[in-house]
Amino acid sequence: MTMTSTPRELPHQPWGRVRQSRRTADRLMKIIATGFTFVAIFVLFWILGMLLVKGIGGLSLATFTAVTPGPGSEGGGLANAIVGSFVLTFLGIAIATPIGVLAGTWLAEYGRGSQLANLIRFINDILLSAPSILIGLFVYVILVEPFRGYSGWAGGVALGIIAIPVIVRTTEDMLNLVPGHLREAGAALGAPPSVVITGVTWRAAKAGMVTGVLLALARIAGETAPLLFTALNNNFWFSPTLAGGVSNLPVTIYQFASAPYENWQQLAWAGSLIITVSILLLSIVARRIVAGGK
Amino acid sequence: MLSTLELSPQSLDAEAPVRIAVKNLDFYYGEHKALKNINLDFRDRHVTALIGPSGCGKSTLLRIFNRIYSLYPEQKATGEILLDGRNIISNDVDVNELRSRVGMVFQKPTPFPMSIYDNVAFGIRLYEKPPKSELDDRVEGALRRAALWDEVKDKLKSSGMGLSGGQQQRLCIARTIAQKPEVILFDEPTSALDPISTGKIEDLLEQLKSDFTIAIVTHNMQQAARISQYTAFMYLGEVVEFAPTNTIFMNPAKKQTQDYVTGRFG
Repeated sequence: MTMTSTPRELPHQPWGRVRQSRRTADRLMKIIATGFTFVAIFVLFWILGMLLVKGIGGLSLATFTAVTPGPGSEGGGLANAIVGSFVLTFLGIAIATPIGVLAGTWLAEYGRGSQLANLIRFINDILLSAPSILIGLFVYVILVEPFRGYSGWAGGVALGIIAIPVIVRTTEDMLNLVPGHLREAGAALGAPPSVVITGVTWRAAKAGMVTGVLLALARIAGETAPLLFTALNNNFWFSPTLAGGVSNLPVTIYQFASAPYENWQQLAWAGSLIITVSILLLSIVARRIVAGGK
Repeated sequence: MLSTLELSPQSLDAEAPVRIAVKNLDFYYGEHKALKNINLDFRDRHVTALIGPSGCGKSTLLRIFNRIYSLYPEQKATGEILLDGRNIISNDVDVNELRSRVGMVFQKPTPFPMSIYDNVAFGIRLYEKPPKSELDDRVEGALRRAALWDEVKDKLKSSGMGLSGGQQQRLCIARTIAQKPEVILFDEPTSALDPISTGKIEDLLEQLKSDFTIAIVTHNMQQAARISQYTAFMYLGEVVEFAPTNTIFMNPAKKQTQDYVTGRFG
């Protein structure tokens, strides 16, 4: 420091005094924000609580071993619907993952900044929020009508179409987070772009990309609308060829919850609990992976 | 000011062949002309420092020697840079092969998200498929050369990201020399490091010049004086003065150079 200037005149007001009106406004804001937080959390816990109470009541060993009951018959379980949901969800993810990851990679690595990439990103964002029933109808038109029959394949494709934009988006976002100097360091060793992407960039973004896939999995696991027109649902074990409809949890819940039979309603609650717990577990795993990747 | 500089002993060999010759080089970021008519010679197995105030174009110049700028389509170079007589900025040059011969170490350490061993082996595996035992030897040799072996020999399988900043930078140097390049470019390699790590890297540079032709961009004039045999002072996209380092620091021909190296401007 070169020169010392005369000290600034101190304000006459003593320190630490805040006007009363500001204090009141601050307190009011805090009360309102806290209050609405509790409202939001209350609704959430209400749903979870109701699910637990009603769902656990409907759970039994038979839920996991017996097939869904026909109209008027006693007992029954959800075994075919649970397995069917697994098959459809993984079929969807198996279709969506390579497409979504590669499209997201193109957007982040090759198409970066180009007009075409901006257009694709825009369309992808629209697809991300497209009503899922529309996607069900679309697959109905291209895969169910021409082949004259519902099938698990159509259901898997519909779920896959819903999962693709989620995976594209997260893949691109995660790759954009990889610092540019890491790509430059790869290129500076003489690695062609394909090696830099698969060997360095993907590796650096791996945790985020896996999380994206898991979140897409959680998203489609509970989808009902796209399956109504494609995989349909039924009360027996589906054929291994997945032709002629595949039983699944969301559509079973939809049908059973609105039926007059009490055992159906019980099973609908049990099914809802199973889906919710599965999605919760998936989310926890996804969070763990993100935390582990840091 | 000048007396506080420790100048490197005159180890320069005026007869050393020119490894890289820059002739009438211009460089553009889009429409903006960032380098104007650069002419420089980089001598074999010598350290040449590029100094100058921020924005003078020294990093830009360095990034032409391995064509890393061509990752960005809006950047363009015209003129000639001859590496062993071949113009490397012409379009028919295989940039990946060029980059395996002209290595680069960046300002920020850039370890890849993989094990220490795989980091060093990354560059080797790109162009060679040596048997495991030979690969092990090459990795060990490079890590020893980069003065990192003793610190990491028991944890070669653990992630390179877990090392300290100075260790990461030496890991990047090991990764670069493992590929056996002819030229190594250093882009402010110590400006993100503490003084002790900086000292280690400077010692390393001193040893590396017996095998490699080195070009280094630095903000730190003492560093340039300590480690280089030739220095180019750049300003506003032009080379103001290029001479043996001792001349630049003790007896510069241009007033501008003198003002900069004595800290009067810049």
